[in-house]
Amino acid sequence: MGSVVQALGLNATLVAQIFNFLILLVFLRLVVYPPIVKILEQRQEAIQGNVAAAQEERKQAEELRQQYLGDMQKAKEEANEVIQKATKAAEDESRSIIDAAKQEADRIKESALQDIEREKEKAVSELREQVASLSILVASKVVDEKITADVQRDLINDFIKEAGDLPC
Amino acid sequence: MSAEAAAHGAGGEASASMLDQVHHALNIWGFHDPVTITGLGQLNLKTIVMTWVVMLLVILFTVSATRSMKVDRPSKLQLMVEELFQFLRGLVNDNLDPKKGASIMVLVFSLFIFLLFSNLWGLVPSMMSPTADVNTTLGMAIMVFVLTILLGIKFKGAGYFKHFVQPFVFFLPLVIVEEIAKPITLAFRLYGNIYAGEVLIAVLLGLIPLGATIFGGFIASVIWLGFSIFVGFIQAFIFTMLTIAYTSQAVEEAEH
Repeated sequence: MGSVVQALGLNATLVAQIFNFLILLVFLRLVVYPPIVKILEQRQEAIQGNVAAAQEERKQAEELRQQYLGDMQKAKEEANEVIQKATKAAEDESRSIIDAAKQEADRIKESALQDIEREKEKAVSELREQVASLSILVASKVVDEKITADVQRDLINDFIKEAGDLPC
Repeated sequence: MSAEAAAHGAGGEASASMLDQVHHALNIWGFHDPVTITGLGQLNLKTIVMTWVVMLLVILFTVSATRSMKVDRPSKLQLMVEELFQFLRGLVNDNLDPKKGASIMVLVFSLFIFLLFSNLWGLVPSMMSPTADVNTTLGMAIMVFVLTILLGIKFKGAGYFKHFVQPFVFFLPLVIVEEIAKPITLAFRLYGNIYAGEVLIAVLLGLIPLGATIFGGFIASVIWLGFSIFVGFIQAFIFTMLTIAYTSQAVEEAEH
């Protein structure tokens, strides 16, 4: 054993080196180790806080999104309702307008028919008068002096009567 | 000295004297004797002084990184230390129950930073890695070894000693050898890698004459220094990782 120690050159330095290292170990434990551990813990906490905050924000964003989607759906439905209402109102309006127009047209047609009827009667009576006078004129020209005025008028009246019975 | 070596003519002696020459030329801090006898016993004074320097550097680095830490706008140093810490915590939590892992987290963190700075410190000219001395690495390995046993007893009670005689009592000597091999391999793996790195730096300096060094000879040294940085990281990581693994073996319930 002694010769081995001699050959390796072992001596009190071995103990001194252990002592030196233990001093260094204690120093590092007291001065250097705590701040490293502390800073790593703080960093870990900061990262965890960030992750938690990010998750929270994502959750909130998801909620907001759902809310917005719901709002949009509701708005769409409301818009549809409004459009349907408006369409129905417009249809009613147009129907009433058409009805009114139809009535007006009927009324105008009616009055026009009445006017026509009236004018026709008027025209027929005027025509009668004129035919009578024209006939008298023609007859007076043709017969001249041969027939008296009374006889002539009777003849003409007969004629007109016949003519009046004809459909004109 | 070289004349003396030439007079002896043996290849081994020549290279040894060449290394002596390099070490002598690089020894600008006045550590002449490798071993100094003090009131506390024999001490490797250079190792201890370099350890103090490395401790100071570790303290400077970590303290300046952890002052005025900010959550939202971390400084570059703060980020480095934070990333390192989280990386190590990930390793610990992969191997250990997080509640039990918290008890060795400080040790793992300190161990990694200290070993990393130690390994890299030897690459500064005229400096020496504390881990290039077997006393340092063996001391820390023994410390880790004792700690794993203590943690095992703490978390499992007397049940910790059950694994010495499992599955049969017959395995007791094998398990004891295995347990003892743990700190020894831990120590000598680190020591060998770092010490070899330093030796090769010196060898390259001694082998390549000054003229050749200026005209391209430095490339070999540069490559080796770059590789040594890599080795420094890897060895610090391996030591830390094995510490975690041994603790996990001692602390966790055996999986059957």
